[in-house]
Amino acid sequence: MASAPIAPYNSSPLGNSSSPNASRESLKMEPLADVAMLPGEERVIDKDIIYICPFNAAVKGKVFITNYRLYFKNTDSETPVTLDVPLGVISRVEKMGGASSRGENSYGLEIICKDMRNLRFALKQEGHSRRDIFEIIFKYAFPLSHGMQLFAFLSQEKYEENGWNVYEPMEEYRRQVLPNSEWRVTFINKNYELCDTYPTILVVPFKATDEDLRRVAAFRSRCRIPVLSWFHKENHAVITRCSQPLVGMSGKRNKDDERYLDLIREANGTTKLTIYDARPNVNAVANKATGGGYEGDDAYQNAELVFLDIHNIHVMRESLKKLKDIVYPNVEESHWLSSLESTHWLEHIKLVLSGAIQVADKVSSGSSVVVHCSDGWDRTAQLTSLAMLMLDSYYRTLRGFQVLLEKEWISFGHKFASRIGHGDKNHADQDRSPIFLQFIDCVWQMTKQFPTAFEFNERLLVVILDHLYSCRFGTFLYNCESARDSNNVRGKTVSLWAFVNSDTSLYINPFYTPESSRVLYPVASMRHLELWVTYYIRWNPRILHQSPVEQRYKELLALRDQYLKKLEELQLSDSTHLTNSSTPNTATPNQHITHLQTPF
Amino acid sequence: MMFSGKQTKPTFKSYLPPLQTDLKKSPQLPIKKLEAKLLPGEIIVNEANFVRKCIGSESQDDLWGKLVCTNFKVSFISHNSLPRKRFQCTHRLLGEHDIPLACVEQVVTVNDLKGKQKILGSNQKLKFNPTELILYCKDFRIIRFRFDEAGPESAKKVCLAIAHYSHPADPQLLFGFEYVGKRYHGSTGDRVNGVDPGGGMQTPLFDCSSDWDREIKRTGASEWRVCTINQGYFISPSLPEFFVVPVSLADQDLKQYACFFYSQRIPLWCWNHPSGSALVRMSNISDPQQQRKVEQRISSAITKSHPLRSDVFKSDLDKNLPNIQDIQAALLKLRQICVIDPFEESEEKWLSSLESSRWMEYVRTFLRHAVEVVYMLESRNVPVILLENEDRDLSCVISCLVQLMCDPHCRSLHGFQGLIQKEWVMAGHRFLDRCNHLKKNDKEESPLFLLFLDCVWQLWNQYPAAFEFTEVYLAVLGDSMWVPIFSTFLFNCPRQRAENSRDFASSKSIHLGQDQALRFPPVWDWSQQFSLKDQTLFNNPLYVGKIATCVQNGTVKTFTHRRSKKNYSSTLRGLPSALRNGSLGPNDTLARRNSLVLRLRSDLSQVREQQETPSERFIRDYFSHPVDLQGLLLPQLLPSHLSVWKLYFLRWVPEAQIPQGGPITAFHKLSVLTDEIEMLQSQLRQYKGAGSTPNNLHAEHSKMYFKVTSTPHQTPSPPEYLSSSFPFSPVGNLCRPGILGTPLSKFLNGAKIWLSTETLANETF
Repeated sequence: MASAPIAPYNSSPLGNSSSPNASRESLKMEPLADVAMLPGEERVIDKDIIYICPFNAAVKGKVFITNYRLYFKNTDSETPVTLDVPLGVISRVEKMGGASSRGENSYGLEIICKDMRNLRFALKQEGHSRRDIFEIIFKYAFPLSHGMQLFAFLSQEKYEENGWNVYEPMEEYRRQVLPNSEWRVTFINKNYELCDTYPTILVVPFKATDEDLRRVAAFRSRCRIPVLSWFHKENHAVITRCSQPLVGMSGKRNKDDERYLDLIREANGTTKLTIYDARPNVNAVANKATGGGYEGDDAYQNAELVFLDIHNIHVMRESLKKLKDIVYPNVEESHWLSSLESTHWLEHIKLVLSGAIQVADKVSSGSSVVVHCSDGWDRTAQLTSLAMLMLDSYYRTLRGFQVLLEKEWISFGHKFASRIGHGDKNHADQDRSPIFLQFIDCVWQMTKQFPTAFEFNERLLVVILDHLYSCRFGTFLYNCESARDSNNVRGKTVSLWAFVNSDTSLYINPFYTPESSRVLYPVASMRHLELWVTYYIRWNPRILHQSPVEQRYKELLALRDQYLKKLEELQLSDSTHLTNSSTPNTATPNQHITHLQTPF
Repeated sequence: MMFSGKQTKPTFKSYLPPLQTDLKKSPQLPIKKLEAKLLPGEIIVNEANFVRKCIGSESQDDLWGKLVCTNFKVSFISHNSLPRKRFQCTHRLLGEHDIPLACVEQVVTVNDLKGKQKILGSNQKLKFNPTELILYCKDFRIIRFRFDEAGPESAKKVCLAIAHYSHPADPQLLFGFEYVGKRYHGSTGDRVNGVDPGGGMQTPLFDCSSDWDREIKRTGASEWRVCTINQGYFISPSLPEFFVVPVSLADQDLKQYACFFYSQRIPLWCWNHPSGSALVRMSNISDPQQQRKVEQRISSAITKSHPLRSDVFKSDLDKNLPNIQDIQAALLKLRQICVIDPFEESEEKWLSSLESSRWMEYVRTFLRHAVEVVYMLESRNVPVILLENEDRDLSCVISCLVQLMCDPHCRSLHGFQGLIQKEWVMAGHRFLDRCNHLKKNDKEESPLFLLFLDCVWQLWNQYPAAFEFTEVYLAVLGDSMWVPIFSTFLFNCPRQRAENSRDFASSKSIHLGQDQALRFPPVWDWSQQFSLKDQTLFNNPLYVGKIATCVQNGTVKTFTHRRSKKNYSSTLRGLPSALRNGSLGPNDTLARRNSLVLRLRSDLSQVREQQETPSERFIRDYFSHPVDLQGLLLPQLLPSHLSVWKLYFLRWVPEAQIPQGGPITAFHKLSVLTDEIEMLQSQLRQYKGAGSTPNNLHAEHSKMYFKVTSTPHQTPSPPEYLSSSFPFSPVGNLCRPGILGTPLSKFLNGAKIWLSTETLANETF
């Protein structure tokens, strides 16, 4: 169509297709208005409705609800206005206006989404038309609250690759040269008996016995003991992660825990182990009241404790809420910068990034570190995974990034179900928080500062976030491995990576230049941190959706390849004409051809 | 070696034992050979030995050398070189540590023992012996020298000399006069003393009627003519000798009208939209009684020159844009937060401080205003008059921006340079006063040109492939304002240039020959400042015009630069609805709006529905289609989509530098690829006959700074010296008080990181 050379993720900002591939899936599917339905997707209801677009006007059209999505298509004009919203994105549905409301279009629905937009629809007042559609959306958007299954379990999508095989823990540990004489693999948690929110395979200090681990578990919140996340092949320093120690008001000590941390330190002869407590100091102190706390100086003499001042999930939730207020539906124009500042969103990004920089710097200088927050599944996951991204170029590849998410986030029990609230109607749940979004934002900031260091592009990050909510894939469902196992997520759902890896060309950064041993230190300064407008402000129609430089580079690559081909052809015809001659004129280009086969 | 891939060749240096660091400390280095490199006409005024230039925060990194004040620059000559100086863009007129006097904003002397500090002006006395000299520069650098080991008298003298010579009392004391004047002695030939008359370039200077004629032809402005009544500057002191007026206005009429305008500035034609609508700039009419009549005459003449006889739209710039003092105040605040405030402490409030500087707001205001004008030309198809009191400041910015948005020719290098000649230099922007070269009147100082460059950068940043030049070019162009030898930035108007150079010539008995004025080189003669190799940093590898391609269904189409005339028509949209007296009718504001919405607004108060003006709809329509980079370019105007021009404003800030990162790393890859394509093209040409061009010619003629490597199967990784400040370097250029106490290792954090990983990696082998 008209927008061919631009290829934005959402060609029409009015109607985002969060599944850009939907139309090219090979399976036969019944069309829904003008998009193909997914295998396993079923129509539930169609209805005439008015979409109250915040950017231009009220649009008359038809809404189609399936067990996966809400699809709207206008009927009132030639220019298409469409909406394609996976029901999983819906955070909340509200009725607006009552039976007594006067005026046209004052009676309808408001849908608040998790992806920075709200949708408003107006309906006719007569004949319970609103009640039906409200109830259907409510039921299918929140299936778990209605005793139904998430769409991921109903989907019949098939892909060539089994995305669940992207991450094989043993394979990943072997890549890190583990186990070795300092670190061993333990299967103590194979039935989730040591810790029900950890994965089954753990890497621990070689000298720590399984009995030690059990005793340490008793002193760590939710038994999340310090285990290895990453091993530095050259200096043998490690990143380990855990939850807070159960120090409590009385300042309890635990010899086993103290000795265990010392084993981590000893493994590569680090003189002082650095413990990064992600929280602000006061929060760590306050946690003592609920039985938690932090490692005291006298108890852990060979360790130094550093607080990283990152706030908790509630602060982040409020920050994002404020951000939404200033970008949707309209961008706050008169005091944009100070409004942005007052959301503190970028400030939080800065703290997370600078925390990760400190971790990476410590490890690359040869010292081992322990990272924790309270439970070790939110801020801890942000810090370890970002530090690993800085240290290990493997995680900056398309595959490696998938492994990183599977490992540090999914397998180590970031509570996706609670933080996102998949299929759950309780929108005000205090457990919800955009921790993972914040992490992806940090990754985006890094890709902006190092445009050649990442194999994947911005589009991958957006697709990951879209499917964080969509419930189309099993990848981000449930809080931990044990829950995933008992619900047979691997057997019954498709992994997001199967979908992503079915067409990797969409997600490749053409500027990528592999550099195996480079540590990336982004500048965590407000001077460089930017609001990720192509994500947060993507619904605004006054915004241009294109990545011209990337596009242009691809065009140039194609041109280069075409020239190379032409030259080769000319040489072939040359060599047939003058078989034996060795004139310098033809020899020179020949040499160059062989030189120019750059790996693209 | 696993890192470099290529073999490290032994160099001369590698046979020498590494320099001891304490050697650097001692001032006992041979000083006899420390001599300033002087340009023709340059003389040494004063100098001091055993001076330390501060590089980082610790004195051990400082450089020892001689501080020299000439009539052109502050020069620092040292035997030591900077640490980690693997890359340097060499300036032909300035050494590594040189600062042109014109770039010095403020001279501050300090005696830290006595706790005294004094800002020096010209002809002043200093009652204490300075231990330190701090030069605050117009380009945001802050340079510090220490005199701990220098003779107190010579230190004082050199400070006073710098202060005095950076405040010239008369334009003819600006170094350009001596420099250019010197070149008239003892040389003949076309290339007058090394100064190429036209700069050897295709850049039109618009100082002759033929340049204007060509511009009229290029834009198809057949109803406009070149007017020569101001030859010899007999009509207006601030207008150029040649300019363009409607054909319907006779010279006699113009002479009659001239007296009504400020400084007898007859309205100037800037440019014609392909649809025939002209862009005209005009100063205010001083006599209110005549105002109506004269305005009407001018307007109707412009209307007569319009193919559809459309009425003129007047855009009052003074009413809608900040004034020059506002803009100056904004820059000062921006400088404060970028380079003076301590970095860490200002982090938390960075965004709100940035907002309160208002710089970004002004950038946006100018861009938005230009878009409004574009809307009138493009969508309403009416001629536009830019109205400004003196027509010498705001109009320059707006008329240029409008042309950049509408006319792809202006986005080529020569087109852009011609645009600046036309709308700034010839139209009489007071560069001398606005740059405050004479430091006479601070109230007249205003960074309008820098603001313009920032606006261009915003467009460039949003559409990098649409411009032939790079952001390095824009930054270097801005810096060139402070090298006082270019005709471009030295004068308030062409007449001032002519008069001053005549005076100077007669006082120095220079025979100008056929020239009317001294041939100051225009800044566009880039070879004055940079080698051809360094000039390739200006070439944008993304530029569509050069090797335009379009990939469709897997096949590649290549087309050469299309004629702009043809492109013009593609930007035409619909026919105009006539305007009455230049104001919008009531129908226009509400045109085509769904009546339903109006009712909705009252009912759904929660919906933040805003009244969309026709120009907003024009913008929204524009963004709903793919952008043709050779057609109309409208900037994204939301404040969330405008950025700080980091390369310009933050290049000296060590903490803000991203080692081996920043947009330059992607640029590097692009440059290499474009270079490879150019090479393949030349090889293909060889095959197609036309004789044998030797292959090595490619390397010399390549337009790209970074070249394809001959190593097979190797994706070039970005060179280590790249950073977000490239090709500039913070080292030694920003020594604000706050940086004291920061270890150099942090200051040069890139170097440290590389050291540690390299040593680590080496251990494994």
